[in-house]
Amino acid sequence: MKIVVAIKQVPDRDAPVRIAPGGKWIDETDLQWAMNEPDAYALEEALQLKEKNGGEVVALSAGPERTGQTIREALAKGADRAIQVVCDDLGTRDALGVAKLLAAAIKPENPDLVLTGLQSEDIGLGQTGVIAAELLGLPHATLILHVEKTDAGVTVKRELEEGWFQSIEMPLPAVLTMQSGGTKLRYATLMGIKRAKTKELKSVTAAELGADAAPVVVLEQIALPKKQKSTQILPGSPKEAAAALIEKLKTEARVL
Amino acid sequence: MMASLPTLAEPRHFAIWESALFAALIVASVWAFWRPFGTILRKILASKSDADFHLFPIGRRIRDFVWEVMLQAKVIRERPLPGLAHAFVFWAFCAFALVTLNHCATAFGAAFLDPAEPVSRIYYYIAAVFAAACAIGIFGLFVRRFFARPKWLGELSWGSGLVALLIFLLMVTYLAAFFVQPDSLAARALWWAHTLTLLAFLPVIPHTKHLHLVLSPFTIFLSRGGFSRIPPLSGDEDFGLVAGKDLTRLASLQAYSCVECGRCTEHCPANNTGKLLNPKQIVLGLRGYLNEYSPASEEPLLGKYNAQEAAFQCTTCGACEFQCPVGIEHLPIIIGLRRGAVNTGAWEDDYGAKLFLALERGSNALGMSATERDKFVEKNTLPIFDGTQEYCLWLGCMGAYDPRGREIVLALVRVMRHLGASFGVLRKEKCTGDPVRRLGNDLVFQQLAEANLESMAQNKVKKIVSICPHCVRTIQEDWKEFGAPPAVEHHSEFLARFASQLQPVQDQKRIVFHDPCYLGRYRGVYDQPRQVAALAGDLVEAPRSRERSFCCGAGGGLSFLGEEKGDRVSHVRAAELAATGANVVAAACPFCNTMFQDAFAARGEGAPELMDIAQLVARGLPE
Ligand code: SF4
Ligand code: SF4
Repeated sequence: MKIVVAIKQVPDRDAPVRIAPGGKWIDETDLQWAMNEPDAYALEEALQLKEKNGGEVVALSAGPERTGQTIREALAKGADRAIQVVCDDLGTRDALGVAKLLAAAIKPENPDLVLTGLQSEDIGLGQTGVIAAELLGLPHATLILHVEKTDAGVTVKRELEEGWFQSIEMPLPAVLTMQSGGTKLRYATLMGIKRAKTKELKSVTAAELGADAAPVVVLEQIALPKKQKSTQILPGSPKEAAAALIEKLKTEARVL
Repeated sequence: MMASLPTLAEPRHFAIWESALFAALIVASVWAFWRPFGTILRKILASKSDADFHLFPIGRRIRDFVWEVMLQAKVIRERPLPGLAHAFVFWAFCAFALVTLNHCATAFGAAFLDPAEPVSRIYYYIAAVFAAACAIGIFGLFVRRFFARPKWLGELSWGSGLVALLIFLLMVTYLAAFFVQPDSLAARALWWAHTLTLLAFLPVIPHTKHLHLVLSPFTIFLSRGGFSRIPPLSGDEDFGLVAGKDLTRLASLQAYSCVECGRCTEHCPANNTGKLLNPKQIVLGLRGYLNEYSPASEEPLLGKYNAQEAAFQCTTCGACEFQCPVGIEHLPIIIGLRRGAVNTGAWEDDYGAKLFLALERGSNALGMSATERDKFVEKNTLPIFDGTQEYCLWLGCMGAYDPRGREIVLALVRVMRHLGASFGVLRKEKCTGDPVRRLGNDLVFQQLAEANLESMAQNKVKKIVSICPHCVRTIQEDWKEFGAPPAVEHHSEFLARFASQLQPVQDQKRIVFHDPCYLGRYRGVYDQPRQVAALAGDLVEAPRSRERSFCCGAGGGLSFLGEEKGDRVSHVRAAELAATGANVVAAACPFCNTMFQDAFAARGEGAPELMDIAQLVARGLPE
């Protein structure tokens, strides 16, 4: 089974996020970068499928030069080879633009399965994977926790709401977007890093892939969430106050 | 007067056939010794060379050799009575060197000592005194091993009994020769009895733990020195102790030097609380491996002879390494085995993976967001280090993120402010890498050490003070592999220096101080924390203290690995500390502190109060 895992490099969770001048994207100087967590789960699932069924895992990532670090991490964890789509305009591409890059890189690989995280930890649109599936003309399923190979294709465990799961049989090839937490991530090892150095890392540019960038959705402005704390004292008798509290919990906090 | 004393009687003349027989027996004995011994020696020499080995500076080696081998100081100090008995056996062997040489030379008419000549006579008398002491000593050791039978010595072995008997015979046949006529039949019989015993002894050596007679002087002289010194990995194919091919000469030499005394296991907190780990078996496991496979073998070291589970139960307290009388360095071995398992991904553990992932990506071992540290620094208006202050106050994971660790930091900050010491904390810190270092994750350790060293250089840090002995040790010793760390000290050392400027607290507390492994055995700091704690009350000592302190159970990354098997190390130690009757347990390590906190909470009512030494002295400060 040949599996392509599409991975995004995102700012590290502990990194200080500042808005870049112009307000359209974040300031990338001094940021530390990491593998998008749902993508890390996608990679883990791919590695486990390979360990069970044999085959090959190809890591794919689009982004500027620095993305190489995340790609090497994927190789170190066990991917067999990697493709880096070098592009400096990832931040200004919309989900369609990114999906076009990925789809163009995946197509010639002819994989049995494409896995990617269900969304990115930076902008969190949650669309790239499914658009890529559409562009590739492959069936897809989202929010997947676990994949099991069957004779006919795969059985996937899909997360529904309120603790419900759905089990679906799917034909291959297919695209699946993976939810975090379905399995346990492996840690990176020294041996993995050393072996990664000898693995193939192919680099292609967006132009070579012929994927145009003209966005259909334009990001106008980003802002940091405002932090605020406010205290309200609800007046009246305990009974009235309790009634008012329940009303507020229902309508304002929407926790009831 | 001396002429009237009896002297050693030896046969003067040997028939040709007698000399020839003796020569043949020597050849046979040496051959019977060399055959197995040569095999062992070849295995040691065929092991990989130690990349970090330097003979120089040699002064330390000579000192260790004189102290531990010649004077037997370590053997005596840790087990006085049997130690002394052993020392006499050893000294008698040394005193006998010339006697034995002469003894053999006699058979070929080449004797160089003359019983009639005064200097030789005096020498014989000195040897006789040692022989008597040795005979008593070996008898005592025999009784101990076969009748008193301390459990740490393990199963009875025929070898030990045989060797004791042979040594005893050697001494008795020597002494008896003072009471027979020279050149008599009796003298000849004793000469032969002594000789045959000697020739029988030699081939027994390589088959028993008495191999240490030959090897341990080398083991002690060649040891890495320092404490828990973890060798750097050499080359792209070195991942730690994975298979026989990774065993270095020092490791193999040490494996064959173990005398099976069990001191390591006797003091091992893991073994004493029902874990699988037995440090003696770790060493003997390597020996078993080497006997079966070759030092070039690809067969995993963790398998038939040593268990992975055991290797990961070690708290790296270092009690074993500290105790071992023959210079075996357990920690490079145990951590080496862990490196082999972690660096290749063979170790699968949910907690371990979680810790590694937290440190691959994040900044701290507790897996918290770095902003939590920022908030703590901001809320308590801790000054930011800018290169102008004298001290960089290193918070560490516990000091920055753990509620109790934070209290200790704040207590120390109060004292430092009171003393007018100039200090600041770094804007950002990453874990020193202690837990990953001890668990054998070289990848993450290197990342952390390098990032920290870079930040130290950028911030122009010259002197660090820290509340955590693990941070102190890792910064000072382990970072060296990747650069030159700044000077670092533990807050007990800092506080002790200013003790005269601190107010004693007079509220009649009885305080027992618990020596943290990483402050005591690792750093040799025992008096300073006591000096500080003594400002706050009367000190009492726990039964196991200072060098023999019993671990809290947290070290070696174990505090991150979830529930232990058997009894909890922390509970055993907490009970011991409580039993001293002290009403305060003084700690000097944030890890000990959390471990005992939980242990005392489990004890409920009547548990002593638990405080760091910084908190103890901070109480005495004006508000
Ligand atoms: S370091 Fe401590 S826990 Fe580990 S084997 Fe030695 S004595 Fe036991
Ligand atoms: S390793 Fe050292 S302390 Fe342990 S049994 Fe062997 S000789 Fe004794």
